[in-house]
Amino acid sequence: MAIENHNTGNSGGVRPVVEKGEHIIARHLIEDDNIKEEKNLVIDGVDVSGRWNTFIISRVDSDFDRSFFEEIKKTVVGSRINRCWQCGMCTASCTVTPLYRRFNPRAFIYMMQLGNLKELKKYIDVAWRCVGCYKCSQRCPKQVNPAEMMEALALVIKKYFPEEVKTKLKLDEEVKKIYEDMIIGHGRLDLAKLHTSAMQKSGKTKELLGKIERDAIFKMAKDGRAFSILRLGKPHNWSRSKEAIENYLHKLNTIENGEAGV
Amino acid sequence: MSENILVIGGGPAGLNAAVMLSELGVNVTLVERDSFLGGNPKKFKYKFLFPDMQPADNVIGELIKKTESADNIKVYYSSEVSDFKENGKKFDAVIKSTSGSETKTFDSVIVATGFEHFDPARDAKYSYQLFDDVIDIKDLERMMGENNFVRPSNGKPPKKVAFILCVGSRDRHVGNQYCSRVCCTVSVKQAIEMREHFPDCEAYIFYMDIRTYGFFEDLYWKAMEEHDVQIVKGRIAEITSGPDNTVVCKGEDTLLRGPFEIPFDMVVLASGMEGGSQSPEISSKLGIELDEHGFLKPENVTLSPFKSNKPGVFLAGACTGPKAISDSITEGAAAAMNAYTYAVKNR
Ligand SMILES: Cc1cc2nc3c(=O)[nH]c(=O)nc-3n(C[C@H](O)[C@H](O)[C@H](O)COP(=O)(O)OP(=O)(O)OC[C@H]3O[C@@H](n4cnc5c(N)ncnc54)[C@H](O)[C@@H]3O)c2cc1C
Ligand code: SF4
Ligand code: SF4
Ligand code: SF4
Repeated sequence: MAIENHNTGNSGGVRPVVEKGEHIIARHLIEDDNIKEEKNLVIDGVDVSGRWNTFIISRVDSDFDRSFFEEIKKTVVGSRINRCWQCGMCTASCTVTPLYRRFNPRAFIYMMQLGNLKELKKYIDVAWRCVGCYKCSQRCPKQVNPAEMMEALALVIKKYFPEEVKTKLKLDEEVKKIYEDMIIGHGRLDLAKLHTSAMQKSGKTKELLGKIERDAIFKMAKDGRAFSILRLGKPHNWSRSKEAIENYLHKLNTIENGEAGV
Repeated sequence: MSENILVIGGGPAGLNAAVMLSELGVNVTLVERDSFLGGNPKKFKYKFLFPDMQPADNVIGELIKKTESADNIKVYYSSEVSDFKENGKKFDAVIKSTSGSETKTFDSVIVATGFEHFDPARDAKYSYQLFDDVIDIKDLERMMGENNFVRPSNGKPPKKVAFILCVGSRDRHVGNQYCSRVCCTVSVKQAIEMREHFPDCEAYIFYMDIRTYGFFEDLYWKAMEEHDVQIVKGRIAEITSGPDNTVVCKGEDTLLRGPFEIPFDMVVLASGMEGGSQSPEISSKLGIELDEHGFLKPENVTLSPFKSNKPGVFLAGACTGPKAISDSITEGAAAAMNAYTYAVKNR
């Protein structure tokens, strides 16, 4: 994409790798995604490759897609989508929004109502940030249950943007796997281990032995916690619980895939 | 001898005033400009009324029946008051009808000349009259009343309909700053009716505020929660023609901050209420005040909303501002009580 070419620099009089839409005079006003260039373009038998094949896609929303609304309304978690009147009490009470302003349950619900996938796509990286505290659902005057709407959102994002989920949410998926494995395998959550594994996955190996980490290890060794953790066994009769969890997860997966139609 | 009271206008307000006075034994003269009674609800064939969707005939038909069957109400159809003079505490009025002119003396007068629908053609951005598939709420009332809900352009049922609120209201550009009060509720009511009878037709409402005040709010909730009517925030700035015989609504979605141009099969404009040409006419003929919105002005909007500034002349219904039928009927009764008191006092 265009941005990757930005920093290659213009050296030795050689023409730099061209930026997308370089012929557009007020280029800075146009979002990258809205510029379309074909390698070769022939219109009515005329080859218009070169500067004539740059197109700016209009930013105007040109339709509502109600099928999307219908799809969400059919899910258990999204069944109250028709109720939302956009008052914003959910966003105002949300635990996550003050940390990520782009996480806005009110706006996500609206995008889902109008089937505005183009807009939703811009928020894939944050759309999963709901921590399930249900403060929004407690406040919502229409009892939309926005917390569960966020689950519905996660489902449709998986279905409609599988590529983006794979790339933009790669780390989230991996950390989730570590978490699951830890619970299923040991019946306990080892926060220290979760932390280190997540850092490893995100390539922050150097920071693993940073000051904070070193201090923590030292402290835990000193007060004995480091050793007591090692001695902790699995909870009583864990194999049966493990089986139940695995069954549940399997079922959930089937339902999720079914609902999302994948 | 019983009192003689003049009621001008045979809509819900005037009819109820006439009926109440007749029950008090007053001789009522009812002057109606049209050739029929019932006012705007009758003229535009409102079929089901908000808030409870009862047949308009239950209300309007009932009042007309009572009026027409009362011995002491004399109705003048297709008529008007052509001359009006004070005569001591009484009033001399000339009633001009198709059968000539008649002068009568009255103890008091009730003005119930109502409102006129804003004519959306006056606001060119909405392309009313330019495109067949752009209609307004009174047209839709009539279409539904006549069981003829189709696209005017091709006679086919629409699949996607937009309602546009505040047409002719809350807009300096057209000269009306006030809110017309009923158009939100009429729109959600119509959207519900539409979705009930034509479930595969999508309904969108473009709004700046939704003012379904008081218990009318129930209809708003019902429209969304039981009939999946979608509300979209933003006023429409232009209607143009689109591909495949559609009409395109141009606006800004103020919640997502972005322009849209959405094609629809049909657009319904929620045109508001105006004082019409009758308000200034009656104002100058009877010597009563007009307000800055083009409606008749009560002596005191809070204490005596049913009194004009002229003693003995009372006001009722939508002639003093936009309101629902129930309020118009209530005011008809209040004006009747006041007109009667005035008449008895000055006997
Ligand atoms: C599209 C639409 C739908 C509505 N639906 C509802 C609803 O469902 N429920 C509800 O509660 N309200 C509804 N309303 C509001 C309702 O129409 C009014 O509240 C009601 O009609 C007001 O009654 P009125 O008697 O004051 O005036 P009008 O109904 O306007 O009647 C006035 C009468 O006076 C006559 N007149 C005028 N000037 C003269 C003159 N100079 N001489 C003699 N006669 C004259 C007119 O011909 C008319 O018959 C709706 C309004 C609109 C715009
Ligand atoms: S989900 Fe509820 S709280 Fe949030 S905007 Fe919608 S109606 Fe308001
Ligand atoms: S449940 Fe999710 S969306 Fe709702 S307040 Fe908590 S974090 Fe925010
Ligand atoms: S009642 Fe609604 S549509 Fe009518 S003027 Fe007021 S806000 Fe606008």
